[in-house]
Amino acid sequence: MITNFLSLPTQASLMRTTVLKNLSLLLFCFSLFISPLQAQEKLKGLIDGGEVRGKPIAIVPFKVTDGSVIEHQIHEIVAFDLNASGKFESIPTKDFLSQPSRDEEVRYKDWRFINAEILVIGEVLTLGPDSYELQFRMYNVVRQEQIGSGKRISGLTMRNLRTAAHVISDNVYQAFTGRQGAFQSRMAYVERKEVEYQRFRYQLMVSDWDGYGAVEVAASWKPILSPSWSPDATELAFVSYASRGPIIKTVNFNSGQEKVIADFKGVNSAPAWSPDGTKIAYSTSRHGSPDIYVYDVLTKQHRRISTHYGIDTEPSWSPRGESFLFTSSRSGKPQIYSYSMSDGTVSRMTFEGDESANASYDLDGRQIVMVHEGGQIVVMNEETSQITPLTLAKFDESPSFSPNGDMVLYKTEQQYEPALMVASSDGRVRTRLELVRGDVREPAWSPLRQ
Amino acid sequence: MNRKLGLILTVLVALVVTGCKSKPAPVVDDVPTTTSTGTGIDSRDALGAFGLSNYSIADLERLGINGDPLNYTTLYFQYNSSSMDEKSTVIATRHAQHLGEQGGARVNLEGHADERGTRDYNLALGERRAQRVSEVMNSVSSASTIQTISYGEERPADAAHNESAWSVNRRVEIKY
Repeated sequence: MITNFLSLPTQASLMRTTVLKNLSLLLFCFSLFISPLQAQEKLKGLIDGGEVRGKPIAIVPFKVTDGSVIEHQIHEIVAFDLNASGKFESIPTKDFLSQPSRDEEVRYKDWRFINAEILVIGEVLTLGPDSYELQFRMYNVVRQEQIGSGKRISGLTMRNLRTAAHVISDNVYQAFTGRQGAFQSRMAYVERKEVEYQRFRYQLMVSDWDGYGAVEVAASWKPILSPSWSPDATELAFVSYASRGPIIKTVNFNSGQEKVIADFKGVNSAPAWSPDGTKIAYSTSRHGSPDIYVYDVLTKQHRRISTHYGIDTEPSWSPRGESFLFTSSRSGKPQIYSYSMSDGTVSRMTFEGDESANASYDLDGRQIVMVHEGGQIVVMNEETSQITPLTLAKFDESPSFSPNGDMVLYKTEQQYEPALMVASSDGRVRTRLELVRGDVREPAWSPLRQ
Repeated sequence: MNRKLGLILTVLVALVVTGCKSKPAPVVDDVPTTTSTGTGIDSRDALGAFGLSNYSIADLERLGINGDPLNYTTLYFQYNSSSMDEKSTVIATRHAQHLGEQGGARVNLEGHADERGTRDYNLALGERRAQRVSEVMNSVSSASTIQTISYGEERPADAAHNESAWSVNRRVEIKY
């Protein structure tokens, strides 16, 4: 009995671990249960080049078979996802001439009339207390044909009914853009709460990509910064404060366990997990000037990479891990450089403007998102160096690509209030993540689960 | 005597090292310019106020330092710079000299940055500033144990988003 008590974790950490375990369990489960309604189904990709606006899409409110009102409005979640990508524009429900939920109820002329190109319908089947099944169908209105056949997502509870809606979004995204959707991914961010006057608690949070269902994975009375996802999305590396200064830690979501990665004298910051998960690049000033080091996760060895007297920080790996981008003040003001792991050469990547910082690649290494001139988010084409502004503001920061590279998550201020935003990578659409409120900062988009 | 000479040299060296970057125009409203000719002010104070050999009270006032520089514990910096201006150098020198006379102390230098630029870069910048102050203080007297810590842009003195807030947020706080 006594030994049991001694080994008992604290109430808080126990709850945290349980919540996290449930979360990952749920996410894991429902993706297994997606199955076609009919035997064989194949999704066709329809890629139209050069569109200037999103494809008009009608997403009909999902009928709940027992007529009950459910907390999550499936059609609204799907519409929010697809609109945020910039590749779709959902038509308001009030314009609909009919609201079909089954294949036999679909009349194409109703949808052509309101200029919908895509139609999504579906049903929520109530199977028992907190037990649901979701069915959905997609139509190409222009060609008057169903895309594949209907699909069923089973084994759902109220909580993952919402995540199942993101599965629908991913299916529509894949079918009509030919690209993998990113709506089942998550994000990490830091929230600061003023517990009493000028006494702040910092929480490292993880939520769905749209900010829903945030749970705390680490907390401190001192600043937390720079969350970086492990490639399998089960751990975060981040900056936390020890009494001597900023150190780098990791936290595992399943065990709740925290590990110290770098706690050298000086500033240890900006961790970045390599794509294969074997290394963490970071910046430390252990030898005076901030330089990039690479930590080997297996051997626990730290290797010094850069030795310049300027500030070298914010390393970020290329998609295949053969090089990394970093911010350096070696030319006087912060600019982006690339370091090649194979031959150790350093090349300057940015020349436009006075300052560029905090850069990272998209999934195929063609685009680089960064903070320009101290507070504007821009995307740079890696080959042509051409810059597309995503924002016009002066105080935007912490950009990260969605795992498919089609969207960028960042932090801004709206009327002096911090806000997390998502922009389409072409800069056309910006969406506020309204589900995240408070003094939030440092968002980081997760990779997709393997 | 030797120590005083050394002090003059360090202040001079520090000033040369920091370079003559565009300093904010010194505030000189109605400061009497006659102090050095001894109108009622002790000539020993006139040059060598508070033990700072080549600074008179008037020189300090010209820098915006009223009274003993020891009363100032926050040093301010230009945007994206860790160079110390003359005022900051004098204040840091006076603290180091004072602590040296006391036989040393544990000193914490807290480096901060304004919100412009990225958070990780600002962590590095805040540390640069604290290290710079540490170098100046160490060159005056090595009696103290000086530790630096950077908070980057995480702990602004003024949370507003304007130039006046930023100018007070780019700072090093001397704590002992």
